[in-house]
Amino acid sequence: MPEEHDFEGQSLAHVTRRHFLEAGATGIGATALATLLGCDTPRGTPVPGIARNLLDPLSPLAPHFPPKAKRVIYLHMAGAPSQLELFDYKPVLARLNGQLCPESLMKGKRFAFIRGIPKMLGPQAPFNQYGESRAWVSDHLPHFSRIVDDVAFLKAMRTDQFNHAPAQLLVHTGSPRIGRPSIGAWVTYGLGSENQNLPAFVVLLSGGVGPDAGASVYGSGFLPSVYQGVQCRSSGDPVLFLSDPKGLPRDLRRKSLDAINALNQREHEAAQDPEILTRIAQYEMAFRMQLSVPEAMDIEKEPASVHEMYGTTPGTTSFANNCLLARRLAERGVRFVQLFHWGWDSHGASASEALNKGFFDRCKETDRAIAALVTDLKQRGLLDETLIVWGGEFGRTPMQENRSGADNPFIGRDHNAGAFTMWLAGGGIKPGVTHGETDEIGYEGISGQTDVNDLHATMLRLLGFNHERLVYRFQGRDFRLTDVSGKPIREIIA
Amino acid sequence: MNKRIWLAGAGVIAVVLVARGAWSSGGAVDFNRDIRPIFNKKCVSCHGGVRQQADLSLLFREDALKPAKSGKRPIVPGDPDASEMVRRITHPDPHDRMPKGRDPLSADEIAAIKRWIKQGALWEPHWAYVKPVAAPWPAVSDPAWPRTDLDRFVLARLDREGLTPSPAASCPVLARRASLDLIGLPPALERIDQLCADRDPKAYERFIDELLASPRFGERWATMWLDLARYADSQGYEKDPSRSIWKFRDWVVQAFNRGMPFDRFTVEQLAGDLLPNPTEDQLTATAFHRNTMTNDEGGTDDEEHRTAAVIDRVNTTFVVWQGTSMGCAQCHGHPYDPFRHQDYYRAFAYFNNTADWDQTNDHPVLPSFPADKDREGRALYAVIRGLKARAESLTAAPAIQTARREWETRLMVPAVAGKLKDTWQNEVLRIARTPEADRDGEQKMMLDWVYAEVTDDPALAAIRKERDQTWSRINKLAPALTPVMEELPSGRRRRTHVFERGNFLVHGAEVEPGVPASIGPRPAGLEPNRLGLARWLVHPDNPLTGRVIVNRFWEQLFGVGLVETSEDFGTQGTPPSNQALLDWLAVQFTTTDQWRIKSLLKDVVLSATYRQSSVTTPALTERDPQNRLLARGPRYRLTAEQIRDQALAVGGLLSDRMLGPSVMPPQPDGVWQRPYSGEVWKTATDQDRFRRALYTLWKRTAPYPAMLTFDSPSREFCVSRRIRTNTPLQALVTLNDPAFLEAAAALARRMADSGGPADVDQALGRGYRLALLQVPDQASLAALRTLYQAALAHYRAHPGDGDSLGGVAGVGPEQAALTVVANAIMNLDQFVTKE
Repeated sequence: MPEEHDFEGQSLAHVTRRHFLEAGATGIGATALATLLGCDTPRGTPVPGIARNLLDPLSPLAPHFPPKAKRVIYLHMAGAPSQLELFDYKPVLARLNGQLCPESLMKGKRFAFIRGIPKMLGPQAPFNQYGESRAWVSDHLPHFSRIVDDVAFLKAMRTDQFNHAPAQLLVHTGSPRIGRPSIGAWVTYGLGSENQNLPAFVVLLSGGVGPDAGASVYGSGFLPSVYQGVQCRSSGDPVLFLSDPKGLPRDLRRKSLDAINALNQREHEAAQDPEILTRIAQYEMAFRMQLSVPEAMDIEKEPASVHEMYGTTPGTTSFANNCLLARRLAERGVRFVQLFHWGWDSHGASASEALNKGFFDRCKETDRAIAALVTDLKQRGLLDETLIVWGGEFGRTPMQENRSGADNPFIGRDHNAGAFTMWLAGGGIKPGVTHGETDEIGYEGISGQTDVNDLHATMLRLLGFNHERLVYRFQGRDFRLTDVSGKPIREIIA
Repeated sequence: MNKRIWLAGAGVIAVVLVARGAWSSGGAVDFNRDIRPIFNKKCVSCHGGVRQQADLSLLFREDALKPAKSGKRPIVPGDPDASEMVRRITHPDPHDRMPKGRDPLSADEIAAIKRWIKQGALWEPHWAYVKPVAAPWPAVSDPAWPRTDLDRFVLARLDREGLTPSPAASCPVLARRASLDLIGLPPALERIDQLCADRDPKAYERFIDELLASPRFGERWATMWLDLARYADSQGYEKDPSRSIWKFRDWVVQAFNRGMPFDRFTVEQLAGDLLPNPTEDQLTATAFHRNTMTNDEGGTDDEEHRTAAVIDRVNTTFVVWQGTSMGCAQCHGHPYDPFRHQDYYRAFAYFNNTADWDQTNDHPVLPSFPADKDREGRALYAVIRGLKARAESLTAAPAIQTARREWETRLMVPAVAGKLKDTWQNEVLRIARTPEADRDGEQKMMLDWVYAEVTDDPALAAIRKERDQTWSRINKLAPALTPVMEELPSGRRRRTHVFERGNFLVHGAEVEPGVPASIGPRPAGLEPNRLGLARWLVHPDNPLTGRVIVNRFWEQLFGVGLVETSEDFGTQGTPPSNQALLDWLAVQFTTTDQWRIKSLLKDVVLSATYRQSSVTTPALTERDPQNRLLARGPRYRLTAEQIRDQALAVGGLLSDRMLGPSVMPPQPDGVWQRPYSGEVWKTATDQDRFRRALYTLWKRTAPYPAMLTFDSPSREFCVSRRIRTNTPLQALVTLNDPAFLEAAAALARRMADSGGPADVDQALGRGYRLALLQVPDQASLAALRTLYQAALAHYRAHPGDGDSLGGVAGVGPEQAALTVVANAIMNLDQFVTKE
């Protein structure tokens, strides 16, 4: 007869079941907890790589080595902005404008929409050099041109996905398929949060719609769901169901929680399940979040000079408002703030998706606020410890899109997995540098090519992690954000 | 217990193995117990199925015994000294020593490997790939404790651990547990009163029989199966448009209710269309594998996403029925389990010949019409079929074939190809570039079909026109168009190739349908198609299906399976906590019970094991935090669906309307914000507001928020096991979601019915009993009374607040205060927990 195997050292559900017991919490639940959390309380199974105790899933934790960045603000331009109209200046492409694309460039390529032989499309904007770093920036970004010396460019990013949903998943989870944890989930799992009264990982959406791949791009995958991004909204309840019901004032809610906690305490005395104590702590945290989230999300009281700087209008949903919120959340110790701004898919199939129309609008909606965010963090002494990442999910072709083999009504470019530009600033980034170079039409990288795994390895390095050691065991295997590859990009690390 | 501890690099305990002295005593080495774990942990990342450095793979004996790249034999059975592996793991020079760049193996590990080679280097199959046998009943310390046979295996295990079972749970606690488990809802208070007063020893069994016969039974178990089926009411990906597939959900509910044996349940879902003269129900069942996503994003390649759907069908089939992560073998050999790259595509070949093709209209579909439109609808659909047959015969005519060839040559002109739908273009051009003689049957059919769609030929154009008109008449009848499986006819079949590195454009060797040799040969006489695959899965010789399915049901009742990784019975999954019990249950289920789920569930819920109290102690929690040894009953938070359904039931709001199209109960504004989608959430105004959670419209990219918060998956892919969490956002849902407030207000009305608001304690006690089915103790009652009085004082002073809370004017301060108490009761740990 087969004997039983040992299972104690490999339990999965156990480590994921118990969350959120806060040592420093206040309120009835926490007081009871402090006395009940004796040394015989079960602890989560140690996870190789970091010493996360899953009884206390968001407590601040030290990474592998001293970090250069404490938090991240990630600005995702959903739809994939054209690098050729923003940062990757290609005079040769201007000369080729209107010529038929040589067949050699089409060989072995798959495109989303280009069919047959398209025409080359020169840069649709004048470019100039700025700052001491002499970085090229197009006229679409007048505000950004003033902060070029604070950022490091990756000009030869590449990916292997050329449809939006899988490419966004790859950028945010390291895999084009659904099911892996997002960067924000990994980072909060590894570092916890400095503010227990706000969600550790906040997601802010603008542009009218969410990311193409839905909530999976800020999900927790196989990590406990406590690490998933929490969407905060600038209108209505900032977090779903945050407000007390109409007609149930806060002092009465407090009394209601006191009753709930008292009965739960009795339940714990009877049933002895530590999960009950966790629930008490969760209810207390929910109660605190009801005050702290609206406070953090309220930009109305910011001075007029700040609104002028960002271009913000309180009470609306906009990318600019979200940038200001990102700064407020960063100030309050939120670990990871993820912004998505939709509408960069400039195919030229319609005015809103055209390089000669919608693209201008996207630049206007984002340029001032991004420059303000970097400048504002710098003035407040927070830029050094806050890593800012800007980018899309792939690049755009140097060819003009000819959907269905005919010219599109507006000027646009198709998806290009071969090259795109990203930039990083702040927390441990070497300012004023450019790494990577594309060919003379901006089609593919020719030196310093980096991919999504490298970007992730770099981000984790700046946060103090060896990306190969931030792992989580799932289905019998140690998973990591960078899967089986990735190297920190030393050229942009200060 | 003799334990050996392996220390990982960082000094963290990584794996604890039971060694039982094998390494030190010189006894017989057990490959699975002593050797495979070393290989899996230390070797296979370089010498496995993905990477085979130096041409060495340690997954199959035949591979490990043949000479490696160097010409040396890694393992020479019987002769450790001649085995290169031994030389390398003991090499003094770190440069040559294996594992390369890692800490050397321990002296015990090396000794074990040497002894294993000396004893012949035998490869035993992994336990899960050996057919289970029912072991004889083990001896137990207390023969009076077992109520059913399975209890003996549990008690024998507890005996070995020196633990004793917990006392039986009280009647109301056990009845609530069984009811939540079997029908997903709590029992009515009146039924509990009656049951717990009944002295007949058979009373509990009668109660269980009632639950098993309830129509609610199928609804509860469908929620489990729909996670596996990745059932959703939308197609997924970017636009995520709605899909009409609720008839499949209804099929599942009814199959559970009718007690359909699991083997038939399997065959109808995987291959109902291939049964002789399939009924409409059997065709509907095949929608199981039409729950794959369809990608409607502009500029995608339909063949790529058709392939992705087939891959999903392979992966889902193997996860659901075999607990096997076949998906790992999609790009390369399986990294640690004995599945070859080819095995994957042999399985793929079973699914590669259906007619669906990532089209937005989800064709082929089975239309079904409202009763009064049924005759007309069927007649129109017969017209569609006739038109299709006529188009096919017309296309086969020599003149059209010549015209089609001529069109193919012009396809290379972008303006000609550009007339095709953009998502077709890549595949059509790939086929057009393939010489006609090299095309497979499906490719030939595809070009004929596409040509028939674009040609100006007057006869074909007329057919298209009539078809489109007929479809618009059909659509006016509001049919449900359920996507179903439809096998391509002979002569129009696809060839299946291995995809090199998983890339659908890079074809390797051609393969025929087949099952992985590691799980066992395909028994003779089974068809080389989906029907044969389905019959293999439920064949008596299949070692996995019985175990995997029994484990899934066990997991639902006990919170954790006997194999914790219910999705992975492979070598890297967690080993069973009690294999003798698992195997006994599997054999019982597949033979005596004849795959009847209700019999299996009844056996379990009547057991002494299941009836134990879930009260624990700090010592037991420390010893066995997940209760895998079963020294107590299960205690877990309810599922997302149960939390909603219970609140509605306790408030007396729950609608008992069954089946039908999915419904839209209230949800917050702004949840549906999708690119390129104009669909809106139309909140139900009738009893559809209060339907069971499984009928809620499931949009993959924007699932119902309250359910998502309680760990329901988004159903994009098969989710074998939900991970339970405990977060502040969950508290916010049950405290503040208007749907839960509405349920609390309804419970408050039931509380007041008990004798008028004057008798406060009676009303509070009744609320507590209605929700928890137990009488509150004095301290609990006092805490609720304090809350009630504070609330009453508030609403007397602020009558307007009371009106807002109750949702209507004039509810009165007493009623508003009871609502506050009801809301508190519905947030108790005990309420959201099955205890």
